[in-house]
Amino acid sequence: MLQRNELELLNSRVTIILGLVLLAFGVLTFGFWNHQIARSPYYQQLAERNRIRDIPLAAPRGRIYDREYRIIADSRPSFNLILTRENSARSVEETIDLLAPGIELSAAELLSRIEPYLDEPEYEPILLAEDLSVDETAFVEARKYELSEISLELSPRRRYERGEVAAHLIGYVGEITRSQLESGEFVEIESGDVVGQSGLERQYDSLLQGEDGIRRVIVNTFGREMGLLGEVQPIPGKDLVTTLDLDLQLAAEEALGDRTGVAVAIIPKTGEVLALVSRPAFDPSLFAQGIRQHEWDMLLSDPRKPLQNRAIQNRYSPGSVFKIFMAAAGLEEEEIGFEETLFCPGHAVFYGNRFDCWRGGGHGAMDVRHALVESCNVFFYNVGDRLGIERISRYAVMMGLGRKTGIDLPGEDAGLIPSEKWKQSTSNTRWFPGETISVSIGQGPVSVTPLQLTWAIGGLVVGGKLVQPHLADPEFVAPLGIETSGLRTEEYAIGEGTVDTIREALWGAVNDRGTGTRARVRGFEVGGKTGTAQVVAKDVDPSRPDLQDHAWFVGFAPYDDPEIVVGVFVENGGGGGAAAAPVSQAVMQVYFDKKGGLFTQGDVNDIAGLNTETSIAR
Amino acid sequence: MIDALTSRRFWQDFDWFLLSVAIALGTIGLIEIYSSTLNMDSASFFLRQLVWLVAGVGVCFVVASVDYHILAEHIVLIYVGAMCLLVGVLLFGSTVAGSRSWFGIGSFGLQPSELAKLVVIVALARFLSEIQKRYLTLPQILGACAICGAPVLLVVAQPDLGTALTFVPILAFGLFVRGVRPAALISGVLIVIFLLPVTWAALEDYQKDRILTFVQPESDPLGSGYQVIQSKIAIGAGGLWGTGLFQGSQNQLGFLPTRHTDFIFSVVAEEMGFVGVCVTLALLLALVFRTLSLTLLPGDTLGLFIVLGVGGMFVFHILVNVGMVIGFMPITGIPLPFLSYGGSSVLTAFIGLGLIVSVRRCRYVN
Repeated sequence: MLQRNELELLNSRVTIILGLVLLAFGVLTFGFWNHQIARSPYYQQLAERNRIRDIPLAAPRGRIYDREYRIIADSRPSFNLILTRENSARSVEETIDLLAPGIELSAAELLSRIEPYLDEPEYEPILLAEDLSVDETAFVEARKYELSEISLELSPRRRYERGEVAAHLIGYVGEITRSQLESGEFVEIESGDVVGQSGLERQYDSLLQGEDGIRRVIVNTFGREMGLLGEVQPIPGKDLVTTLDLDLQLAAEEALGDRTGVAVAIIPKTGEVLALVSRPAFDPSLFAQGIRQHEWDMLLSDPRKPLQNRAIQNRYSPGSVFKIFMAAAGLEEEEIGFEETLFCPGHAVFYGNRFDCWRGGGHGAMDVRHALVESCNVFFYNVGDRLGIERISRYAVMMGLGRKTGIDLPGEDAGLIPSEKWKQSTSNTRWFPGETISVSIGQGPVSVTPLQLTWAIGGLVVGGKLVQPHLADPEFVAPLGIETSGLRTEEYAIGEGTVDTIREALWGAVNDRGTGTRARVRGFEVGGKTGTAQVVAKDVDPSRPDLQDHAWFVGFAPYDDPEIVVGVFVENGGGGGAAAAPVSQAVMQVYFDKKGGLFTQGDVNDIAGLNTETSIAR
Repeated sequence: MIDALTSRRFWQDFDWFLLSVAIALGTIGLIEIYSSTLNMDSASFFLRQLVWLVAGVGVCFVVASVDYHILAEHIVLIYVGAMCLLVGVLLFGSTVAGSRSWFGIGSFGLQPSELAKLVVIVALARFLSEIQKRYLTLPQILGACAICGAPVLLVVAQPDLGTALTFVPILAFGLFVRGVRPAALISGVLIVIFLLPVTWAALEDYQKDRILTFVQPESDPLGSGYQVIQSKIAIGAGGLWGTGLFQGSQNQLGFLPTRHTDFIFSVVAEEMGFVGVCVTLALLLALVFRTLSLTLLPGDTLGLFIVLGVGGMFVFHILVNVGMVIGFMPITGIPLPFLSYGGSSVLTAFIGLGLIVSVRRCRYVN
């Protein structure tokens, strides 16, 4: 039987237990309060993130057309392989081991694609492989329930059916880089999105890009869709109609062939770019498919630098073509008269140095017309000496050299027109008058981009009017949401006599006994000027191909009222008359034939199908 | 026994409050079991649990009708029988989730370890009630440990460490209330602390993982930590009023693990919110307090220690299970009495309830 005091003793101990139990319940209740009241929004967010998945619906990029609505770039459907680590039943390595057998990429390559994103939140999708083949798609599709962390994403992909045609002008697209993401240059773009990386693709990215849509779905713990919450359809990118004429572009590319060089065709009165070729080129499709590392390395290490758009990104000495600007400046400044003749004995001496004319025997007495036709150096040495570097510089810049043309392509170079100030600031020495003599014939520090030179001559021969060169008309793109300040148009004062004299002289250079006879087009009055820019001093072994002179030709037609100006540059091409003028001829011929209705549209496909080998005799 | 059931007195003395609390808890469990198995075969889970609850209530009446003194009298025989069942399950039982702890009877299963727990409660109560000193002697302590230890070792051998652990509070409560010298208490605690590293070495890898991830769940969010993280998300997402029945995304979309059994309380928290949690916790607290406060009433020490043992079992299950779903305790497969899906768990809880009622009814006999 129980004694009273013993019962009390036991009861006191039970009371201690009751107290502890009460305390424990208090702690639990506090725990639930903390989760369900204090931090509820946080957990609600986590629960949402668990159950809601946003699946991007990629917008197809807009098409790029030429001026006759022929497609230069469009899009096709393709599948990307996506990894979402969140809720995965296995480690990244295990997933990759299961995937690698059916995917072209090796396990190591797949891992290297994941590594940069390991610190990102686990719900962020990681792009593992792009543009899967039919076999790869089937392999993944067959395992989609087993590999719930893996998904296929429909992603429209860029298609450039014409291969290398107009490559530099189109540019290429690629996944946005980390630095681009951080730069803020692209708005509303996320990791993994494809953006224009160069050329028109980059320049008009915001127009071509479109807006990705979203499929917001409820998923269960295995990532399987359980319901649709909403869908925002992607807005396809807008189409871009360019000023390009594919017929001229193809003619120029074919004429340049395998040679390294540039061909540009512009309508000088409107600034419309009809053709813009840089060779060698690349195939933009390589980028659209997600360029492989070795392909990228090959493009970068190629000594001919196929990624460079030589028409706007490289600067070269203009050589004799620069004499046109010398003639204009000399006439305008009245340092030479229209009829004034100077005597060329084959060389001349300025400031104690001897400067040669290209014709050792000399040209004899020359007026400005004949000096341009025959490209007499001594005549222009004198003009340059009379003008001085400051006036040469002022005219050259006024006429469009030494500054960016403002073409709607990224990465344009400004070229260089030297001046006293330039010399002082770059080498901290003063300008020696002797240096002016070299500049007079387009040598020395003066350099231009092929586009710039072509544009400036076009502006001069239409009477002193420079219209910003462009591939897309601001009036066309502005309503599509591209910010533009319209076309920049400059007019500079230049005498009618000066322009006429130059036009006539340049007609002579092509049609008379000049240097540009191979640029002639039957029935079309072409004017033009060749140039040969020395790579190094003449006495070095001239047979080395990389030390050959650069060849220039800039032509326009009809000479008395120019509609088109064509500039051709062939790197290490030798003489401008032989190497560059025929390319201009090919382009002008197509232009002239189209104008006369002799050229049919069907030809464009034939030309595109051809291997772009030089069919024009050099 | 049949006499008792037919007597008016039995029904008058019956602890209807305790039974109401148990049925209320069972109902909450039943609703959320239905909800958490919606995308499986919910009707089947619901009906089975309903059958067990009804059977549990019946068993409760039957057990309550038995005078606990009679049970205590024959406890040696019953204890030996229970030991035989535990040995038998090791030899002939079916293996579920790596543990050989079940006897399959048709589509129902019986877990002898649950039954053994109740047997140990009565055996220990008898052993402790026959001692009438202020403090226990060492041989007495070792004797009590032996009564508990034998079934614990057999359960560990299954291996089912979680269930083995549930024997510990029965022993601890009994020893504490019966009286252990403060010095012995302290040295006991010290011995446990010194044994920890040894125990750690003996643990299976998955058990080590569970303890490690308990300390830091984010260290392995996809493995052992996953369950705790998802459970906490479910609880937090419930907010004050809950997402509503059958509306909890964590539950319905399968993010919660073993949600109709061990994690049933997470489902309650998600779908019924903090309000539902408080109601459920209040019911559980009422169950524990009603049980333990019975010991404060005058009566014999045998009854006191039986009630204490059942109470200790309830307390341990509740604190470990609820603590687990909110991340205060490591993950162990210990169910929540009356709520978690499972016949053994439900029947054990109701038999325990029957024992309590029996003590309440018969304590003045003598």
